[in-house]
Amino acid sequence: MPPASSPKGTRAHLFFKRLVQQRTLAWMCIPFVIWAFIFKYLPLWGWTMAFQNFKPARSFSDQQWVGWQHFSTLFEDNTFYRVLRNTLVMSSIKLVLGFVTAITLALLLNELKNVIFKRFVQTVSYLPHFISWVVASSIVLTVLSPDGIINLLLMKLHLIDSPVLWMGKGEYFWGILGATEVWKDVGWNTIIYLAAITAIDPAQYEAAEIDGASRFKRMLYITLPGLKPVIVILLIMNMGSILESGFEPQYLLGNGMNMDYSENLDIFVLKYGLGMGNFSLGTAAGIFKTVVSFIFLFSANYIAKKMGESRLF
Amino acid sequence: MLKTKVRIASLAVLLTVLLAGCSQNNSSSPSATGDDENSPVTFSYYMFSPGKKDTLASETTIGKVLQEQTGVDWKLEYLVGDSATKAGVMIASGDYPDVISSSGEMSKLLDAGAYIPLDDLIEEYGPNIKRVYGPYFDKMKNAEDGKIYALPYTANQGEYSGSPNVGGGAFWIQRSVLKEFNYPKITTLDEYFDLIQDYKEKYPTVDGAETIGFVSLAGVANNFFTLQNPAMHLAGYPNDGSVMVDMTTHEAKVVAGTDAQKKWIKKLNEINAQGMLDPESFTMNKDQYLAKLTSGRVLGYFNYGWQIGDASKNLLSAGIDEKRYAPLPIVFDEGIKDQYVDPPGFVNNYATGISVNAKDPVRIIKYFDNLLKEENQVLVQWGIKDETYSVDEKGRFYYANEDQRKAHDDLELSRKFGFTYFGTDWPKYGGESTLTDGNAYSPGNQPEVAAASYTEGDKKFLEAYGIQTFSELFNKPEERPWFPAWSIALEQGSPEQIFTTKSDDLQRKYLPEMILGAPSNFDKLWDAYMAELNKLDKAGYEATITKVVKDRVAGKW
Repeated sequence: MPPASSPKGTRAHLFFKRLVQQRTLAWMCIPFVIWAFIFKYLPLWGWTMAFQNFKPARSFSDQQWVGWQHFSTLFEDNTFYRVLRNTLVMSSIKLVLGFVTAITLALLLNELKNVIFKRFVQTVSYLPHFISWVVASSIVLTVLSPDGIINLLLMKLHLIDSPVLWMGKGEYFWGILGATEVWKDVGWNTIIYLAAITAIDPAQYEAAEIDGASRFKRMLYITLPGLKPVIVILLIMNMGSILESGFEPQYLLGNGMNMDYSENLDIFVLKYGLGMGNFSLGTAAGIFKTVVSFIFLFSANYIAKKMGESRLF
Repeated sequence: MLKTKVRIASLAVLLTVLLAGCSQNNSSSPSATGDDENSPVTFSYYMFSPGKKDTLASETTIGKVLQEQTGVDWKLEYLVGDSATKAGVMIASGDYPDVISSSGEMSKLLDAGAYIPLDDLIEEYGPNIKRVYGPYFDKMKNAEDGKIYALPYTANQGEYSGSPNVGGGAFWIQRSVLKEFNYPKITTLDEYFDLIQDYKEKYPTVDGAETIGFVSLAGVANNFFTLQNPAMHLAGYPNDGSVMVDMTTHEAKVVAGTDAQKKWIKKLNEINAQGMLDPESFTMNKDQYLAKLTSGRVLGYFNYGWQIGDASKNLLSAGIDEKRYAPLPIVFDEGIKDQYVDPPGFVNNYATGISVNAKDPVRIIKYFDNLLKEENQVLVQWGIKDETYSVDEKGRFYYANEDQRKAHDDLELSRKFGFTYFGTDWPKYGGESTLTDGNAYSPGNQPEVAAASYTEGDKKFLEAYGIQTFSELFNKPEERPWFPAWSIALEQGSPEQIFTTKSDDLQRKYLPEMILGAPSNFDKLWDAYMAELNKLDKAGYEATITKVVKDRVAGKW
């Protein structure tokens, strides 16, 4: 079957031919396409709100159109730049810390030969993932309170003279948040890497061992490159949510004293959008977020493509 | 071929199911009308007030009795989390329950057209509603269209009956402190903190942990007023929200940035430098705060009684009187007349109304009307005669024994009977009402009940100060026809509302910084704070509030 020489061998023809061949698969896709259309595309209609002075009780034709006014309100507000900075910083911290710790833990766990100990460490490390943020933040607040365990420990070790008000210093917030996120999710994030490691051909390790590669060398030259495709794909996907720095931990751990550092875009939208019944402003902020995420996602994918790595699309 | 057909057919079925799942069933018609008036029906009731477990009304004794009278049962749902957000989400989705109690979210719900006007329904089905709310109709009318959309909770009936106990704001002090110094009479802020300091020096630890001089609930965003409000109380004003209203000119002045606030915050800065203030005041959540209050380590705090209900009940049932707290009307200087006790007022925007989604507004309004019959108002406050209260030969209501008192005071029992659920958030008489037979509407306001509920420690305390009730420590409220100014509804997303949010944010950031900073730094920080505050449209906000206050004084609500 030499399709290239055939006059009908155009790309469109090929497409339809394949469609017929794989019609069962195509049929199976339809419900999900409909699902995606209803729940992911139809709601985009709501974006029109950002260009109106939206009032919930009125019909669409009664809404007052204001053009880009809500966007300019947003960009003229100093608070907006502060929360944007916080969002970017916090999600970068989350991204970098999340990757580094999860990969490190996966590599270390992989080297463990004692299965029971390995299972134990894994279980303990992913358990916090199942605690809700409400409970987790209460634990964090208690541990970090002036008479909490951390202050007690530091005092006993004579590292500090008087208790530190951890939650009261804005500059500490990002660090605390990063540490909390790692504690909560490192075990969970590790799972996917551990799964990817099992897919690496054991013969490679054996060969390397015969060639005299040390454990560390094997980790560096076999395990890590083996993980690379997974890492890159996950990185691209996470770039798409660079403006999603999370909402619950910031909301629950934030207070007046650290809000210059803890408030992010989501909290801003909540306070000035939903909280004030100003749905239009909230939508404008949401659109902004989507556009930025889009740019990040596409650039990450483009870079991956240029570097000849595996990519999302 | 057959296979394909089967496939297409099954796909079609799948699609129908999918689409059917998406379409909403809006066609539920008002069913029970005419002959079967008391047919069983269940409506949903959402409360924008937190802290209660969701339940079916019929699972409580009161709800059961009312169900027998009307056939109506309720699915009661209470707020979890932030009310502004919940309201926003509810409006955005248009997913309203049958009845909504608004708490602070009234203007948002009205703006969104969530409520139906009640005028015609009241006219036709509400003789009792008319009797109870009639005198207040003017204050309940919507400013825009003159219609009534909701029934508030503060429509007082009969003679005014004040509370013998203090449920409002006060500077609270651990009773052991007063006892230690032989029950001194203190009125000023300096005296208050001096006393606490003397006690703390004498007893630096409690059960091994450091004694805490003063603590505030300023870490919780929607309780930040706990730190803001004392300034106006200390200056001799009642709780008008974020403003102080002049008694003669009726000018409203924002508390933020006033001398009163500076004086209050500076004092806290001073006591912090002396190690008397708990720095965790600004970071802990409410659970941690209440735990601290019940630990016995705290000597003083400012709160409204209703903020700390559970902690007070726990301390009471622990039975150690000395670890309980006494309310004091503290002011800045001798000569300022304290105004902690709320003057009689009418709050028109904490109210309950029927939503546009309600299946059967007629049944609901009939239920409300039935609820407002005097015997049912007695039921929701006092309960059932000889079961949860007794009547003496003069017709006075009282608790004949411990069990009757417990039915009201014990958290679990009052939940089971339904006082917890029916006591507020329903159309009702105002809390300071008097029944037609002269008894107080609220059991807590009945002198017989209050006197009998005092513990030995309470009696000793009252005796030491030569008074009969705790509220006698406080001055009587002066008449303020606009009261409370915090019930003035601001338009959604208006400059006034943005001012409130921005100035609160500013205070949440600066006030703790000023309090916890070095005293030498205070003035510098204050200037920075004022510079930021002055950038906001304070004048515009004050003008708006002043206008409404003047309108209310003139009788226009």
